Amino acid sequence: MIAELDALQTEALAAIPTASDETSLEALRVQYLGKKGSVTLLGAGMKDVPPDQKKAVGAKLNEVRTAMTDAIVARQLQLQAEKDAKAIEGIDVTLPGRNYGGVGTLHPLTQVRDLAIRTLRRMGFILADGPEIETEWHCFDALNTPPEHPARNEKDTFYLHDGRLLRTHTSSVQIRTMEIAKTLPIRIIAPGAAYRRDEIDATHLSVFNQLEGLYVAENVSLAELKGTLVAFFREIFGAGTAVRFRPHFFPFTEPSLEIDVKLEAKGKDARWIEIAGCGMVDPAVFSEICAKRGDKLFDPEKVTGFAFGMGLERLAMILHGISDIRHLIENDVRFLSQF
Amino acid sequence: MQVSLNWLSTHIDLSGYTTAQLSDLLTFAGVEVEGIEERGVSSDKVVVAQIKEFVQHPNADRLSVCQVDDGSGSLRQIVCGAKNFQAGDKVPLALPGASLPGGFEINEGKLRGVDSRGMMCSGKELGIGDDHGGLLILDASLVPGTPFSQVMPGDVLFDLEITPNRPDLLSHLGLARELAALTGLPLKGERDYTRSVASVRQAEPDEVTISDTDLCSLYCARVIRGIRVGPSPDWLRQRLESIGMRSINNIVDITNYVLMEMGQPLHAFDLSKLTGGVQVRRAAAGETIKALDEADYSLEAGDLVIADASSALAIAGVMGGLESSVTDTTTDILLEAAHFSPPAIRKTSRRLGLISDSSYRFERGVDAAQTLGAADLAVRLILEVAGGQEDGGARFAGSVHLERREVKLDTQRALRLLGMPDLTPDEMSAVLTKLGLEATDDSTFRIPTYRGDLVRSVDLVEEISRVIGLDRVPECVTAVAVPSDAADRAYDLSMHLRQALAHRGFNEAQTLRLISQAQVADGLTTTDAMPVKSPLSEDHAFLRPSIVPGLISTAAHNIRHSQNRLRFFELGRVFIKLPNGQVREDERMGLLLSGPVSSPSWHGKDPAIADVFDLKGIIESLPGVNGSVTELKRLKDEGNFMLKCEWRAGNRVIGWIGQLHPRRAREIDARNAVFVAELSLSALRQGTSIAKFEELPKFPSVSRDVAMEVAADLPHSKVTSFFAGIKEPLLISTKIFDVFSDPTGTRMPKDRKSLAYSLTYRAPDKTLETADVDAVHQRVLSSLEKALPVVIRR
Repeated sequence: MIAELDALQTEALAAIPTASDETSLEALRVQYLGKKGSVTLLGAGMKDVPPDQKKAVGAKLNEVRTAMTDAIVARQLQLQAEKDAKAIEGIDVTLPGRNYGGVGTLHPLTQVRDLAIRTLRRMGFILADGPEIETEWHCFDALNTPPEHPARNEKDTFYLHDGRLLRTHTSSVQIRTMEIAKTLPIRIIAPGAAYRRDEIDATHLSVFNQLEGLYVAENVSLAELKGTLVAFFREIFGAGTAVRFRPHFFPFTEPSLEIDVKLEAKGKDARWIEIAGCGMVDPAVFSEICAKRGDKLFDPEKVTGFAFGMGLERLAMILHGISDIRHLIENDVRFLSQF
Repeated sequence: MQVSLNWLSTHIDLSGYTTAQLSDLLTFAGVEVEGIEERGVSSDKVVVAQIKEFVQHPNADRLSVCQVDDGSGSLRQIVCGAKNFQAGDKVPLALPGASLPGGFEINEGKLRGVDSRGMMCSGKELGIGDDHGGLLILDASLVPGTPFSQVMPGDVLFDLEITPNRPDLLSHLGLARELAALTGLPLKGERDYTRSVASVRQAEPDEVTISDTDLCSLYCARVIRGIRVGPSPDWLRQRLESIGMRSINNIVDITNYVLMEMGQPLHAFDLSKLTGGVQVRRAAAGETIKALDEADYSLEAGDLVIADASSALAIAGVMGGLESSVTDTTTDILLEAAHFSPPAIRKTSRRLGLISDSSYRFERGVDAAQTLGAADLAVRLILEVAGGQEDGGARFAGSVHLERREVKLDTQRALRLLGMPDLTPDEMSAVLTKLGLEATDDSTFRIPTYRGDLVRSVDLVEEISRVIGLDRVPECVTAVAVPSDAADRAYDLSMHLRQALAHRGFNEAQTLRLISQAQVADGLTTTDAMPVKSPLSEDHAFLRPSIVPGLISTAAHNIRHSQNRLRFFELGRVFIKLPNGQVREDERMGLLLSGPVSSPSWHGKDPAIADVFDLKGIIESLPGVNGSVTELKRLKDEGNFMLKCEWRAGNRVIGWIGQLHPRRAREIDARNAVFVAELSLSALRQGTSIAKFEELPKFPSVSRDVAMEVAADLPHSKVTSFFAGIKEPLLISTKIFDVFSDPTGTRMPKDRKSLAYSLTYRAPDKTLETADVDAVHQRVLSSLEKALPVVIRR
C-alpha cells in the first residue's frame, strides 16, 4: 500500500504543476483527493491494514494527502497570479484617459477677478454691489463730477430714455455703499461691469469690467493706500514686482494717483505699465453723502478714505499676455481652454 | 500737447537735465509723458559740406562716388546712393563717429569696394522731417564745416497729457513755470506778461460792448492799421512747425504763437469786414455762421458770439468766422484777447462737435490775469513782423479786476491724510511757495491767478505730495475685520457654481450685456428688452433681458469654428423690463448644452448625444438645486424655444429650461439639438443651507421593484407625489429605473407606457423580515392602484 501511495504521489506531483487552468487542476484534485479519488479509495483500505503497519500507512496516507494538497494550492496561486498578470497584459498606458464630460474652464476674466478678490479679502475687504443702471447723481454728481464734465454727454456715456444711464465706472458703488452704511469703517471691493460709448477694437470694449475699492474710517492715510496697493499688486504679479505711483487727476479723489507696475513682456525689457487709478476720497464726495443721508457719519472734517479702481480685462490681458481684448468676449473654445 | 524743449528753453535753462530726467520729472509731477521724439542732431560730427564733384561708382549703378568739402581743407570721399544733387550743392554730412537719431552710428568703410568716409544725410535721417526722397539740400550761403546743429538746432518734442485740472500747463510758459517750481531753477528774464501792459482804457460803447458779462468777463481789443500780411519769418514758422502746427500767415501765426507761448487764445479780425463796434452777445436762435473750417454752424440762444452791428463774426472762444478772417489782402486788423466762461464754451463746443485749441483751453479755464498781457505780446510781434501802426491803444470792456484767493492749509490734517507725521509745516510751506503761492501767515496762502484748481486745504495737500514726491510717502498696510455681507455670500455661491460647471466640462463664457434687437428674440425668459438711447450700433442697442442670447451667439461662433460639442455657461446680470416701465437687475446663470455628452475617444464607442435630461441632470447636481425638491412645469412653446419649462422649488420659480427651436438651431448650423437653461442666482441662494447631520441607519434596508403600465401621458411626477404622500413609515425612498414605450404598438399599445420603480423599505429599530416587507409592499401597491390609473404588472 505504501508503494501504491508513493506511486500515486509521484504521479500526482508530476501532473499538478502542469495543470493548465483551474478546471484541469480541479479535475486532478477530484481524481486523487475527491470522494472517489484514488487516494481516498486507497485510504478506505486502511481497515484491512494489519495493526502493526497502521501507524506507518496512516502517516504515509497523510503525507501524500498533504503533499498533493500543497501542490494543488501552490498551483492554484500560480494560476491566479498568471491570470492577474494577464489582466493588464498589453495595456498601452500612453493612450489618453477616458474623459467624463471633458475639461471645462473658468473664463480668464473670472480667474483674474477671483485672484484679486481672494487677495483683497485677506486684507479685510468685503464685497459690495450696486446697480448697473444708475442715476446721474450716483455716477457723477456725488463723485464731484460737475454737470459740464466731458464724460457727461451722450457721445461718451450710454443714457436710457428715462434719463438714467449705464454706469461709466464702478465708482458709483462707493456712493451706493456710503449711502446706506450704518457704521464705519467701510472697507469694500466691488467687481462689476461698466459701460462707455467706445467702439469695440483691440483695446476697447463698450462693456467692460472693473474692480473698485473703498476704505473709509477716521484717519485713513495715503500711506495706507500705498501700502495696501503695493501689497496687492505684489500678490498678483509676484513678490519682487516694482510698483510706482504717479500724481494724476480724478474728480472724486484728492490727491489722485495712477499706479504703474514694472513687468517684462516675453523677450522685451521690463517696462512700466499703467494698471490702476486711486486716491484719497475728495472731501466734496463726503459732503454730498452727508447731504444725501442727512447725518454726519461721513463728516468730511472727521473721516478720510482711500479709493482705487482698475480694469479687469486689462489685468487679465497683462497677466496672461492676451493681445486683443476681443478674445475676452468671443468665447472661442480654443481660447477659453487655454486658461 | 506737443511741447518743444527749445521753446521751453527760452524760459528756463534745462541744459543740466537729460531728456529721460525731464521725462521723469514731469511724470512724477503728474504730467504724463505719452511720447518723446528727438529731432535733428546735437552732435558736432554732423557738418555742412559742399559736393565738389562726383562720378559713377565703378561697381554699382545706383551709387555715386563724391568728393566733398567738409571745411577741413582737404576733400573727403563719400559714396552716396541719392540722386537729387548737383555739384556745388551744400548738404549735411555725418562724419565717422557721429550718432544719428535712432542710435545709428556712422563708421568709415568701403561700399562695394570703394572707400566712403562718412554719410551725406536726408532730412529723415537727421530726424527733421519725413522726406526720404534724397539728400537735404541746404542754403547755398552756408560755410562748409559749420556744425549742422547751428543751422538747424536739434530739439526734443514731448507729447504730454495734461490733466483737466491743470489748464495752466497748456502753454510753454506754464510748463516752464512748473518746471521751475520742481527743479528750483529760475525763470529767464522778465516774462511776467501779467504786468507788462502798457496803457489800457475802458472801451467806448461803439468800440466794444459785452451784453452777457456772465459768459465773458473781459474783452480787450487792439486795432493795427497798415500791416502787410505775408509769410512768417523763419523763427516764427519754425517754432510753430516744431510743435506740429501749420504756418498760415504772419498774423495768424502770431496769434497761434501767443496761444502756445502763454495759453491765451487770441483772434484777429479783418477790420474792413466789420460794421461798427464789436458786440459780445448770445446768439439768436437759428443764427448761422460759416467758420474758418468752412463749415456752416447753426447756433442756439445759449451760444456766445462775437458780432458786429450786422452779424455774428465768430463763435466766441471756439472758432472765428471765415468772412471776417485775415487774408492776404488784409491791411487793418482788430485783435481780440478775451476771457470766456468755461461751461459756456464747453457747451457750445460739444454741441457743435467743434473742438479747437482755443475751446480746449477756454473750457478748462484760462488765466484771466494774462489777457491784456497776451494782447500786448501779440501787438508787439505784429508790429515787428508785419509792420503797421497801432490805432487807439488797448481798450477793454468788462472787468480787469481780479482777486487772488486765499486758502488755509490745515497742517495737522494734512499730515494725517498723507500718513507722514514727520513732515514739517516749514517744508510744506516751502513747497507751496516754490509753486508760486504766497504765505500770508503760518498756514494761509494766496493762490496765483493761474491756479484755479487750488481752492481747499486738501488741494494744497495734493500739491505737497506731488512735489515732495509720492516716493517719500511711506507704505503701511492695515487690515480691519469687517463682517461679510450679502454680496460676499452671493459671490461665494457664484464661484461654487462656476467651479461645479467647469468640473462638469462646461466652458465659462463672458458675453456683452448690450445686444441687438435680433438677439433679444433669443431671450429664454422674456423677449422684452430695455433699449439704450444712443447705441453705438444696432448690434448693441438693448440691455440683455436674458443670458441665453449671448450663449447662442457663443454657440454660433464655435460652430463656425467646427465645434459641435457645446457646453457653455455664463453668470451675470440681466435687465428685466417691468410692466411699469422700470427695470429690475437680476443676477442669472445661463447654460447651453448640445452635441456629444463626452468627446469622442479611441474606445470606439460613439458618445451619446445630449438631450434635455443631460442638462436637467447637470443642473440638479449644482449647489443651490441639489438637495432641494424641484420640478419642471411645462410652459407654452413660443418664439425661438420649445419644450420650455419653468423650474420650480415649491412656489418659487428658480429658473427656466428649454430647447432651442430646430428652426433657430438650423440658422446657426447646429448639428444637434441645442438645450438652454437660465437660473436666478438669488433663488439658488435660498436653496443653500448648512447641512444638518442625521444618524446613520443601524439596520439594513430591503428593496422591492414594481413595474406598471400607465397611460402614455401620465407624468412620472404623479407617481412620485403618490409615493411622497403615502403614510407608510417603512417606505424610505423610491427611484424610477425604467421607462418603456413602443411607438410601433407591437409590444405595448401606442398610448400606453411602462414605468418601473425600485422601492426601499427600512425600519429604524430592527431588521425587517421578508414577511413584514411583503405586507407593506402589497399595501403600497394596492393603494397605488386605487389612487392612480395604473395596471401593476405582478
